Amino acid sequence: MMQWELNTEKPVYLQLVEQIQAKIIAGVYKPGDKLPSVRDLAAQAMVNPNTMQRAMTELERDGLVHTNRTAGRFITSDEELIRQLKEKYITEIVRDFLDKMKQLGLGRDDIISYLNKLTENSN
Amino acid sequence: MLGKLIKHEFNATARIFLPLYLIMLLLSLINRVMFSIDNLSKPLKTIRNFSIAMYVLSILAAIVVTFVIMILRFYRNLLSDEGYLMFTLPVKPSQHIISKLIVSMIWNIGTLAVVALSLLAMLGTRDNLESLKEILDGLLYGLRLGFGDKYGLVIAEYAILLLVGTVMQILMIYASIAIGHLFTEHRVIGSFAAYIGINTIVQMISTIIMLIWTNIELSMLNYSPYYSELNEWESSISILEAVPSKVFPFSIIFTIILSVVYYIVTNYIFKKKLNLN
Amino acid sequence: MSVILECNALSKRFGSTLALDNFSLRLERGKIVGLLGPNGSGKTTLIKIINGLLVPNAGGITIAGMAPGVETKRIVSYLPEKTYLPDWMKVSDTIRFFKDFYEDFDEKRAYDMLHRLNLDPSKRLKSLSKGTKEKVQLILVMSRRADLYCLDEPIGGVDPAARDYILNTIITNYDENATIIISTHLIADIENILDEAVFIKAGRLVLHAPVDEIHEKEGKSIDTLFREVFRC
Repeated sequence: MMQWELNTEKPVYLQLVEQIQAKIIAGVYKPGDKLPSVRDLAAQAMVNPNTMQRAMTELERDGLVHTNRTAGRFITSDEELIRQLKEKYITEIVRDFLDKMKQLGLGRDDIISYLNKLTENSN
Repeated sequence: MLGKLIKHEFNATARIFLPLYLIMLLLSLINRVMFSIDNLSKPLKTIRNFSIAMYVLSILAAIVVTFVIMILRFYRNLLSDEGYLMFTLPVKPSQHIISKLIVSMIWNIGTLAVVALSLLAMLGTRDNLESLKEILDGLLYGLRLGFGDKYGLVIAEYAILLLVGTVMQILMIYASIAIGHLFTEHRVIGSFAAYIGINTIVQMISTIIMLIWTNIELSMLNYSPYYSELNEWESSISILEAVPSKVFPFSIIFTIILSVVYYIVTNYIFKKKLNLN
Repeated sequence: MSVILECNALSKRFGSTLALDNFSLRLERGKIVGLLGPNGSGKTTLIKIINGLLVPNAGGITIAGMAPGVETKRIVSYLPEKTYLPDWMKVSDTIRFFKDFYEDFDEKRAYDMLHRLNLDPSKRLKSLSKGTKEKVQLILVMSRRADLYCLDEPIGGVDPAARDYILNTIITNYDENATIIISTHLIADIENILDEAVFIKAGRLVLHAPVDEIHEKEGKSIDTLFREVFRC
């Protein structure tokens, strides 16, 4: 079972949306997978079922999740959509990171050298 | 729902009473066997004496347990932590009182019956039964002598009085416990105080009633124009006659009134003044 | 959305202290509501009045339109702070007891939950730890298909694993037409499962609002807001 990390800084349903997106991107939920029921998901994440429902509605609006009235709720099989999500998601994170670096006065070369240094170490 | 309450109350108490009854009956049977053996050896004699002692003890235990369980079940099941369970069941407070009362009465009668049964089992030889019959016949004869053909009525009224008297005693204890519950602290002491208080009041009332009544009766005799030595004899007859026609019926009615008052007080406290800790 | 609980200017006095003071509240069906306040603020008094264990001195209260009584007890499921099950009973006895008295009791659900907890139903309550007894009570209370659940301090004094078990049980078992009132002073632990928060202070209603609205309006968590409202 995946861990759910919730803080009190952002609305809970948005945090849930982000974490489910992250799980789709990371492949925890694969394209076409059936999702557990809202109640079970809510119980896993220890949130109000209505909040989880709201997160699902949000995900459905983006097309990442669709509901089949009889069979339940599924992750989209549209791999292109997931690819786009992944790109958007990663772009956002990298952009945040770049913004922070810029605030610290680091240029492109500085950042790349930091990245090289850190990734070498971790390898 | 009353039926279910009675069933559960019965289950909760039977686990104590039934083993106790069983022990009592077993001991009485052992004693009977012991009694039937002539020339007991010394060690067997010791065993016999021991089992007689145990039997007497078991009777005492049954009587004490019947009384204690009656109080404990009412207090613990309704007014301690278990009260949170009982008073949130979809039943009326009155049904709690009645179910407890009925089951308590069952065990009261049950204990009496089992004691009698065990005595019969232990001592019920042909000779003993004959002498028991003689004693009872003597008793009946005495009753007939005193009350004439009303002796049957006297027995029936006495039985009813015993029954309603027991009900009244139980309800009085329930009311005392409920009144004790009105205190925020020292509820047990409060219950004792309530019991003593109720007792005092009832004693006073019944004394007053007795005084008034005997006064009326006496004044009727005193002012009778034929007052004489002969009437002395008649007056004692009329007192005996008053037993089935006045004393017992009045006592029964008075006991029933008291029971109803205790019940109403207990029910009112449960309904309006409940305050579980 | 119909109203499940309506309190109208409730007051309850104990001697010289006012445990509830002109307290009014309206709860709809289908909500998980946090009844939040420090110890002695009147939470338990309110819950006892809802359950007919106390009679208010003034004001009115209805549950699904009815005054507290036999009919409301049929539809209200109550978990008090006390361990209220008789010690001599077996776990299976307690299940039979609930089944006997509550028509809405789901026996199968109760046994499923006991099974998941690895608890032998033939055990006597006497032999169980206090924590396990409390779990048995929670299972009994949540196995009812009630309209209103009143859980009084269900997570007070339990370890994080037990807390997770309790919250999980609550979320999995209530249905959409039911409302759950959870009273606690440990807000951070249950904040995420609440629809609405009710703040109670010295017997008075301080605030009643949807949790989302509080987040949006105040821009802070319920826990932070609570600490501000109840600062000594």
